[in-house]
Amino acid sequence: MSMISEALVILRSIKPAGLLVFLAVLISLAAFPLVVESPYAHHIMILIFLSVIMGQSWNILGGYTGQYSVGHAAYFGTGAYTTMMLMQYQQVPPWFGMFAGAATAIAMALIIGSICFRLRGPYFVLASIAAAEILRLSALNTKELTNGAEGILATDIPPLKIGSLVVTDFLTKVPFYYTALVFALLIIAVTCIVQHSKLGFYFQAIREDQDAAHSLGINLNLHKNLSLAISAAFTSLAGSFYAVYIGFIDPTTVLSMDMSVQIVLICIIGGIGTIMGPVVGSLVLVPLSEALRSNLITQGLISAGLVSEESPVGAFLKENLAHAHVLIYGILVVVVILYMPEGVLGFVRNMVRARERSNS
Amino acid sequence: MDSASMQPVLLFLQSLISGILVGGVYALIGIGLTIIFGVMRIINFAHGDIMMIGMYLTFNLFNLFGIDPFASVLICIPLMFLFGGLLQKLFVNRVLNALPQNQILLTIGLGLIMSNTVMLIYTSDYKILTTSYSSGSFKFMGISISEPLAISFIITAVITGLLYWFLMKTDMGQAIRATAQDRQAAQLMGIDVRRMSIISFGLGAALAGTAGALISPTYYIFPQIGSTFTLKAFVITVLGGMGSVIGATLGGILIGIAESLGAVYISSGWKEVLVYMIFLLVLLFKPSGLLGKSRV
Amino acid sequence: MAILELRHVSKFFGGLAANSDVSFALEEGMIKGLIGPNGAGKTTLFNCITGYYPTSRGEIFFKGNPITGLQPDRVCRLGMVRTWQKVRPLVKMSVLDNVMVGALCRTNSLSAAREIAMEQLRVVGLDPKSGFIAEGLPIGERKKLEMARVLATKPELLLLDEVMGGLNPAESEEIIQLILDIKQRGITQMVIEHDMKAIMRISDRIVVLNSGEKLAEGTPAEIVSNQEVVDAYLGESHA
Ligand SMILES: Nc1ncnc2c1ncn2[C@@H]1O[C@H](COP(=O)(O)OP(=O)(O)O)[C@@H](O)[C@H]1O
Ligand SMILES: [Mg+2]
Repeated sequence: MSMISEALVILRSIKPAGLLVFLAVLISLAAFPLVVESPYAHHIMILIFLSVIMGQSWNILGGYTGQYSVGHAAYFGTGAYTTMMLMQYQQVPPWFGMFAGAATAIAMALIIGSICFRLRGPYFVLASIAAAEILRLSALNTKELTNGAEGILATDIPPLKIGSLVVTDFLTKVPFYYTALVFALLIIAVTCIVQHSKLGFYFQAIREDQDAAHSLGINLNLHKNLSLAISAAFTSLAGSFYAVYIGFIDPTTVLSMDMSVQIVLICIIGGIGTIMGPVVGSLVLVPLSEALRSNLITQGLISAGLVSEESPVGAFLKENLAHAHVLIYGILVVVVILYMPEGVLGFVRNMVRARERSNS
Repeated sequence: MDSASMQPVLLFLQSLISGILVGGVYALIGIGLTIIFGVMRIINFAHGDIMMIGMYLTFNLFNLFGIDPFASVLICIPLMFLFGGLLQKLFVNRVLNALPQNQILLTIGLGLIMSNTVMLIYTSDYKILTTSYSSGSFKFMGISISEPLAISFIITAVITGLLYWFLMKTDMGQAIRATAQDRQAAQLMGIDVRRMSIISFGLGAALAGTAGALISPTYYIFPQIGSTFTLKAFVITVLGGMGSVIGATLGGILIGIAESLGAVYISSGWKEVLVYMIFLLVLLFKPSGLLGKSRV
Repeated sequence: MAILELRHVSKFFGGLAANSDVSFALEEGMIKGLIGPNGAGKTTLFNCITGYYPTSRGEIFFKGNPITGLQPDRVCRLGMVRTWQKVRPLVKMSVLDNVMVGALCRTNSLSAAREIAMEQLRVVGLDPKSGFIAEGLPIGERKKLEMARVLATKPELLLLDEVMGGLNPAESEEIIQLILDIKQRGITQMVIEHDMKAIMRISDRIVVLNSGEKLAEGTPAEIVSNQEVVDAYLGESHA
């Protein structure tokens, strides 16, 4: 009964205009692969969805509950490795493997949480990093299990079947597109539900002031672990998806601190503790780093006549800018922290408010 | 000598000694981090990357001008001091009152910029700095000791001694310690805490850069080497108690020994796991550090 | 029946005895004043009672049951809740949301919690500001928010730590009325307060702490005529 009235309250709070925009976006996303055929465009969209899943998962723990984990590669890698190992060594299709991955990630989260959640502030951050590093080194050192530093290459992905009916064979990017889209919508929906529930209130209270929250009847350990479990499960789904989609994983990609940092950045750049933050962060980061990776920017500079292809600068850019996408992450973080501490979203919101104020 | 054929006692002593020698350099990195934390209450996630810059600096001084890596310490210290001071003045000073997580992210961002800029210039290939003594060693009571490690340990000891003298005996050192103890009180006493912050970050960077110079004859040099050392520096400072210089010195040596013994008696692949396990245990059971007073 | 009973409670910080061998009982429906010079250990005692610190020695009973060693959230659910001397609003959340967090202690439904919260905001007179972000409130309203938030947990025993600290006389008077109102509703209270006039006016009984020890206990009239208490306070103002 109360669930229904809750749902009604949420529904009533949605404005018709917002609903229309949301439906329009949803329909265009669903229709996108039918209209645009370029696999590269599909690829970019898939990367954006993947980034949304990663960012939104972290957001639940970092943004809403205020626990700054810089070790989420642990869960991403757990998902990736579980799914990949089951698929390559046990012929378990990834549709089942990824749930095994999520379960393993939750178990891992509870172990790591039981250690890290006793610590606060910078000590929590350090412990989360150490835990993820232990996992990375373990994956490197258990060659019999994980193939160590050489990583695991996916040879072929079994088609998704219901009974004998083949739903899809994953030969093009389109099935990946829809899978990633559904996951991204799912985690956004979960975040919405959490935000509008008791759980969300408790998470945010913990973020604002742990001691005050504790004194108001909030079981800190239980709620931090719940938040981490949700976050870890979805992060591991992202990892599983990544493994199957890219077809290759090794400890230095899926379990590295760089991965952990990247997950945090998606949120920070967009704006933490908001539903749209990770979406905005992904929309900024993915196209930017892809443009660099594929040398689009150099090409653009050259064709705009700003640098000549033969000049040493042009040659240097052409040679090196492709490797610079992480550099851009670094620069973005510094700029965001110094000039937009509430992320791009908060920055824009404040700009709009300032303009409204000056107009009125 | 092949370690498998050594007598157990000699093997133990040898790995203990090489652990202590490496630990000396670790201590330098840790001391730098702990000074920065003590004065600013900021955990510098770019610390390993600053060390990496010191490595490349040394590498270039050696390759371009033929300057010996140990001699280059004399150039490294002032340059890295300036570099660190600049970082503090331009960036870190502006987030001193920000949320701790934003401070952490800022230094992470700075670290990413450093490592990736170096990668753009030098590619991510491993570089080796080979000196005439790089693989040299001498025997001492049957124990073989690596020459570059021994020299770097001596230099480390001298620098640490000078640092203690600076912190304890000079006016500026006392001002730094006062700032670390109580920023507000120091400010009321007329100490220019912003300047002390710049000097402290400079010192921290100089120490990290020096450590980079000292290990460059024995380690591969590559842009991403920083993050492992950042983590190691955390372990060392937490072990010794955040903000304690003596603690960081002991912590560094302890981690050097743990790694060296771990590599011999467990396996070199698992030695770092051992270090992080120790780290977590200390965080859990003695968060104020092995030397620090317990809080409650 | 005593709703709260302390037996020989001690709390040490290293060598410092912030509380030593404190025993007293709290009768249901009463207001108990807890006074003592700065650093006497009053806040520490609240921290021990509510489970925020583990006690070093001694036992605490709430409604006849031992609660020594229980975590603060359990203590709150049992019906005892405290305010903080240095107020701790959930700054990025709205005033209403702050109070709802308290109310959610007794219900899982957001709409029910919203109703409880609005009611408590009306009680403390903050209802016009329910939509404001807590960060922007001045100190007087922050103290009221703190009160509304603990009231929303439907407590049987309230521990108030200097809720009048830093307020002007008019604001203090509002809080005094509020405390008396709360008493009318049958909620037991223990109040730490520096303003002697106020504490004498509202308390049924008073406990005096000095250097962590219980110096005296009695009615307000007994306390003002107690020479040891007067000395302790004179000592403070002369220091
Ligand atoms: N967490 C703590 N660690 C160490 N000492 C503490 C701690 N909390 C309080 N103290 C000390 O205990 C004594 C009593 O403090 P407190 O309970 O805050 O006094 P009051 O509230 O009566 O002013 C003081 O000397 C204070 O410094
Ligand atoms: Mg007090």
